Amino acid sequence: MIDERQEELASLHALGLLEGAERDQFVAELGRNPELRVRVAELRVAATALAHVAPDAEPPESLKARVLASAASRGSSVPVAPVIRFPTWIPWALAACLALAVAWTGRQYSAVRSANAALSEQRGIADQALQQVRGQLEDARRLVTESSLQIAELSAKLKDEGDIAHFKIATLASMLGNTPAAIAVAVWDPSREQGVLSVSKLPALASQKDYQLWVIDKQYPAPVSAGVFVVDPVSGEAHILFKADKPVRSIAKFAVSLERKGGSPSPEGPIVLISQ
Amino acid sequence: MTSPEELDSPERRASENAALLRRMAGGDRDALAELYDKLSRPLYATARHILNDAAEAQDVVHDVFLSLWENASSFDSGRGAAFSWAVTLTRNRSIDRLRTRANRARLLGNSIPDDLGYGSDTAGLAGGERAELGDRAVAVRSAMADLPAEQQRALELAFFSGLTQKEIAEKLSEPIGTIKARIRRGLIKLRDTLADRI
Repeated sequence: MIDERQEELASLHALGLLEGAERDQFVAELGRNPELRVRVAELRVAATALAHVAPDAEPPESLKARVLASAASRGSSVPVAPVIRFPTWIPWALAACLALAVAWTGRQYSAVRSANAALSEQRGIADQALQQVRGQLEDARRLVTESSLQIAELSAKLKDEGDIAHFKIATLASMLGNTPAAIAVAVWDPSREQGVLSVSKLPALASQKDYQLWVIDKQYPAPVSAGVFVVDPVSGEAHILFKADKPVRSIAKFAVSLERKGGSPSPEGPIVLISQ
Repeated sequence: MTSPEELDSPERRASENAALLRRMAGGDRDALAELYDKLSRPLYATARHILNDAAEAQDVVHDVFLSLWENASSFDSGRGAAFSWAVTLTRNRSIDRLRTRANRARLLGNSIPDDLGYGSDTAGLAGGERAELGDRAVAVRSAMADLPAEQQRALELAFFSGLTQKEIAEKLSEPIGTIKARIRRGLIKLRDTLADRI
């Protein structure tokens, strides 16, 4: 998509009106933007059509002959220094020298102008090549940036996978027989000191009761509460993110008990689920 | 069967000119003569209008055709039409000459009459002259005439004067942003109008 600013610069460029840094920046942008290059080419066609707006003027017949003659002799028309002969009559000699010098200077001037024009055209070609190289360089930079991002993503994934190795994952099942179909999975991330509990087929509770999750860390004499939860009355499912009430070093077991509404500081009700 | 419109289509003209340049690259001077017959008139008119000097305009056109002759092998039709290439060379060389004149400001003033004489329409052209201009020139002039006067003026100065953006703004006593916008709008409208005709 070409915006108004780009279109304005493209118009000015097509008419050769951009200069200095503005021109350099736009040329660099052209190298990166194929759509913009097409737009400049279209506008250049329109710009050069302005030649038809000039008042009509027919070149003289002699000009065609001059062009064809110059083309025929091109390649062997290297200016040759004129041979200056000094006649005995000094004033005539001086006049002849002066005329030849003027003619020679004119030729030299013409040759220099032609060379200058050729150099300008070569510079134009070189500018285009430079645009292409700049475009390629920009592509390469983009590729490097994308690759760096991919590497960063992969590193993050590898780190995550490394972290997963440290996760504590446990399945909880009924050990008491009061909830034979219930099952739960607890995953504990020690680096973040938080975990996820997913349970299913736990019976729905009366309104004055809650299930309470406990983590058992050997550094503490009693289980540490990790919060209360209720289950969906139809599916018996619950998915919770939990944290322990105290800093946990190493979890030996997870357990779920049936407690009064809001939970207890230590387990008081029956254990419903416990991990191996 | 080829229709008359197809015979004079922009694509056909571009293709013919490209073929002439290919022949020139092989050393065919007849091809140069043919290309001269096709392009010399608008190129000479352009150079003469920029330089306001017939002799210098002839020198420019001479140099341009020699450059086309010597560089025909480097022509790439994928990068633009031969006509655009030739006009760009002519304009650049004319402006280059203009800028190297000793008293640039004075000569620029002389080269750009206030009324450039083509801002109104093509009705003022004599019948014979109009025929000689060809359909393309008539189309371009007509498209220019359809532009608002201030856009015409900005484009004329941008193409023929050799002035910078800032100088154009000063000459027209307008902010440079206004001049840029006029050039953009005018050139885009020209492109749209002439899309299938040049």
